[in-house]
Amino acid sequence: MKTKDKKEKVEWQKLDNASKIFPATSNNKDTKVYRISAELYRDINPKNLQRALDLTLESFPMYKSILRRGVFWYYFESSNIYPKVEIESENPCSAIYIDGKKSLLFRVSYYKKRINVEIFHALTDGVGATWFLETLIFQYMKINYKDELGKNIPSFEYGASISQKMDDSFWKNYTSNIQGKKLKREKHKSAYKIKGKRIDENKMKVIEGAMSVGEVLKISKEYGVSMTVFLTSLFIHSIYLDMPKNKKKKPIVLSVPINLRGYYNSSTARNFFTTMNISYDFQKNSLEFKDIVEYVEKEFKKELEEENIHLKLARFMKLEKNPVARIIPLTIKDFFMNIANRWNDKSISASISNIGKIKTAKEFEQYIKQFSICISAKIPKITMCSYNDRLVITFTSPYIETDIQRVFFQFLSNRDIKIEITSNM
Amino acid sequence: MKYCRHCKVYIREDRDKCTLCENILEEELKGKSENVFPKIPPFYESHLALKIMIFISIVALVVSFGINMIFPSNINWPILFMFAVISIWIGLIIIVQKRYHIPKKIIWQVIIISVLAVLWDYKTGWRGWSLDYVIPIACVSAMIIMYVTAKVMNLSISDYITYAFLAGVFGIIPVLFIIFNLVNVVYPSIISIGVSIILLSAIFIFQGKEIKTEITKRMHI
Repeated sequence: MKTKDKKEKVEWQKLDNASKIFPATSNNKDTKVYRISAELYRDINPKNLQRALDLTLESFPMYKSILRRGVFWYYFESSNIYPKVEIESENPCSAIYIDGKKSLLFRVSYYKKRINVEIFHALTDGVGATWFLETLIFQYMKINYKDELGKNIPSFEYGASISQKMDDSFWKNYTSNIQGKKLKREKHKSAYKIKGKRIDENKMKVIEGAMSVGEVLKISKEYGVSMTVFLTSLFIHSIYLDMPKNKKKKPIVLSVPINLRGYYNSSTARNFFTTMNISYDFQKNSLEFKDIVEYVEKEFKKELEEENIHLKLARFMKLEKNPVARIIPLTIKDFFMNIANRWNDKSISASISNIGKIKTAKEFEQYIKQFSICISAKIPKITMCSYNDRLVITFTSPYIETDIQRVFFQFLSNRDIKIEITSNM
Repeated sequence: MKYCRHCKVYIREDRDKCTLCENILEEELKGKSENVFPKIPPFYESHLALKIMIFISIVALVVSFGINMIFPSNINWPILFMFAVISIWIGLIIIVQKRYHIPKKIIWQVIIISVLAVLWDYKTGWRGWSLDYVIPIACVSAMIIMYVTAKVMNLSISDYITYAFLAGVFGIIPVLFIIFNLVNVVYPSIISIGVSIILLSAIFIFQGKEIKTEITKRMHI
């Protein structure tokens, strides 16, 4: 790490609304780091990967920031730290942000055929990270397979200007005077907590299942729902089968992130998401899988209504703009954010997140096998993404037990889906 | 690749047992098994040194109190010893906690040393050495060390300017000692005040703008 050029003017930037919670609540048990990986058919060339990374950073100036503590808020500060590509030597999603340590908020590593980009969540969300990885892969392909590709090198579609990517979309799209009904505060009911034996050293078990998008879609269609709704229902079903009898009074609550870019025509490369909670109470509802799917579908529709989203955004921003909240010193804010975070963790059992399709140029498809994503988890979490016809569903869990994962994947394999499993331990 | 008959899934790595159901896997199918994730060796608790130090501290304290009870003396030296141990620990904890930020660490050390010195002086019958020597010398050394580390470690201005400023402000505090006639030996205090004024004026003259941006940055609401 070098810090040259002392005279260079240091730029700084406020954190966006969703980022604020992450530095306050990250710790060794839950690092708030996620990893997106690309798996190629051939071994990675680290030198070319480093060159690709250098080029990619030019399009993502935010990634050169470090996170610092002010008196009232955290802020990003531009830095001259040079990110070095390293061979993977740490557990997936190990800590990136450590209070007081000057380091970039992302890390790029490789192992055999995989390239991993690990990002601290305050920097950006899954969609933003996907763009970063897509650009990195593009640059890598261009450099590494230059001779093979010959004249077939496609041009890269940047999609957005640098200033659009730097946008704080929360701030830009928020309106305080929303007419109409108020967003009903969800009644706080403690959710069923999945219990298990923690793995030593706060490590996480990552289990990836790769399968065909088409085959999963076909089954989803049989139930008449989207793939995300189907897999969310299946996750609820799998958790239920693992539940001890005396805990069945409590509802299973899944937290599902919503990408806000579509709602507000934003193309920011920073955080722009919110979450919804899908709660299923087996005491009130049926145990049939078919009925779970139907219920989840209805909940998704309700939560994703545009009006609902606007209200959610307004509520988040109201808290941020509250004058009293603003002048509370950061140390005290950290304390309260930690309490809020713990409170929130109590109200969910698990989470599921689909970051959707990852795209590359056609010419590169022959070199890329799949993409996958995983996230630091204090509770079991599913993350997934797809590339062409290859869907990778990743479970991350702090527990040794794999019963939920087993039920989940067995359900799919029993429907004749071919699944390839891989795990980090 | 291997196949688990129970789960009906393929396992990519070369394993003996199924990742999901832990049943024993059969012979390899065609297609090579491959490790997708590297084996990460366990991170052995490197805190053994810490444990030994805690243990030694406790043993030493127990022994000293024991000896004092068996062979009573006029001064209550085990209490002093206990304070010494606590002082060392406080110093160590701060060093370890703020290990990533040296200028901050220096400021903390000045505060800790000053407070501990005053306490010690007070507890051992106020002879005034803490104000006479320790605090001014701590302040001057802090300013010098700050400057040297900033140069040696090539820290950028924004990294240390706030702390250099704080060190300068601390260094002026001995003015109060002189005004309120709290010190017997004035030379260290005068040196501290002098160095502080020079440092602060240097900061304001040469880095006034940086100080201003640092303040807006850190204080944004």
